[in-house]
Formats: sequence, C-alpha cells, structure tokens
Amino acid sequence: MTIGRALPVFSIAFALIYIASVEYNLALITYHPQIGRWGVLVEAPKEGPAMYWYGWLLTSALGAGAIAVLSLALPARPFDRVWSILVWVAPLAMIAVIAYILRGYFLR
Amino acid sequence: MFSLLAIIHGLLAVALLGALTHQTISVLWPARQRTGSFVSGLRSVPSATYTNAIIILFVATAIIGSIIYTEYRVSIRSTLRDYRLYVPEGAFELKEHFISIALGLLPAYWYYWRPGVAKEYARTRVIVTALLATIVWYGFLTGHVLNDIRGFGS
Repeated sequence: MTIGRALPVFSIAFALIYIASVEYNLALITYHPQIGRWGVLVEAPKEGPAMYWYGWLLTSALGAGAIAVLSLALPARPFDRVWSILVWVAPLAMIAVIAYILRGYFLR
Repeated sequence: MFSLLAIIHGLLAVALLGALTHQTISVLWPARQRTGSFVSGLRSVPSATYTNAIIILFVATAIIGSIIYTEYRVSIRSTLRDYRLYVPEGAFELKEHFISIALGLLPAYWYYWRPGVAKEYARTRVIVTALLATIVWYGFLTGHVLNDIRGFGS
C-alpha cells in the first residue's frame, strides 16, 4: 500500500494547517450566510456574519494533500514509524492549542 | 428545513456514536473469549468491519452539520451572545474545530485499520480510534446541549 503511506501525513499536516488557518485566518473562501453569497479568500462581513470555517477546511485539505504527496518521496523507514506517532500527537497538540486560543470563553 | 436537517444530523450522529463506541471498546478492552454475556458481546464485535461505515457516517453527519451551521451563525449564536452564554458558545466553537481535526484524521484512521497495517501499528490504531470516539462524543453532547438551550424549531 504505497500511496496509503501518505494518508497519515495528510492527517498530521491537516491538523497543523487547520489550526494555523484559524489563528491567522487563512481561509481560501468566505461564506456570507445572511445573503447566501460566497467570496474568494478572506472577505469582511457583509450584512451579517462572515463564515471562514469552510475556507479553513479547504486551505487545510489542499495544503495537507500537497504535503502528503511530497512525503511519498521520503523512505518508508524510519518515517512510517514517525508518522505513526505524530498522527495522534499532532491532533492532540492542536486540540490543546485551540482550547488555549479559545480560553476566553471559559474565563469570563 | 433546518429543523429537519437537525433531526437527520442528530440521527446520523447517534448511529456514528454507536458504531464508534463499539469499535473503541473492542480495541481498548478486547474479549479473550466470547462468553455470551452482553459485555462480552460488546467487547468482541468484529471491529474492523465498522471502519468504512464509521467514515461514511462521519462524513454524512459533518456535511449536514456544515449546512445547519449557517443557521447557527445567523440566529443561534447571536442569541447565545445576547444572553451572555459564553461557555456554551465556546463549547460549540471548540466542537467546530475538534470535528474539523477529526475530519482530517479520517484518512489515517482508514489507513491504520487496513488489514496489512493494523497489526504492525496496533497501538496507533487504538489511539486514533479512541481520539476519534472522544471527539465524536464531545461533539454529540455539545450539539445536544446547544439544541436544548435554543429549543427545537425556534
């Protein structure tokens, strides 16, 4: 399963890029739910809130996909072993980071 | 429309929760031999057969969730802010991000449940499955509480 080796890398990169996208608002698309309109890249709110979540997901998926493809150039040993650890360490760390970023909701 | 989608979203989430909880118990606490008891049966389900169903249920639940999320942002979130319900609002913000991370984790989850890979990386498979289950439980409970605050169909 050669191509499958890239899947853990996708998951690791996705978690990292997603949190970076949230923190620095790197959305590739913006949705304006009040008027039902999409926009390219980050747009300011128009007649209601702007939703960047879809854009963060798209940024993360494309970025992680590219990194996963590039990772196939790396040798299986020892990297497959490294990915098997990072694949759960990275999401756990990113969960901790996002909880820290959003701590203000729970400390008011 | 959004109420109907919220019901479907909830039903899919229940199915996902059941499948993922079964699978997680069977890998965290596997039965040495099946005795016929309920607990033994719970621990000895053929967990690998759940994988594709869990992925399909997760993606379907997330897609419907992403549609009703627009309604949350337009009308429900503002209500939470009006009533200064910061903890539920923050809990839902966390849900949004946790579910996104779990969505990205699905390809690895599928990979580590492949027959050829599962044995070699048994520990990774267990941790990834348990992590996914924890996130789904968190998402389910948070969504349920938020729905209770705003009220059905309001």
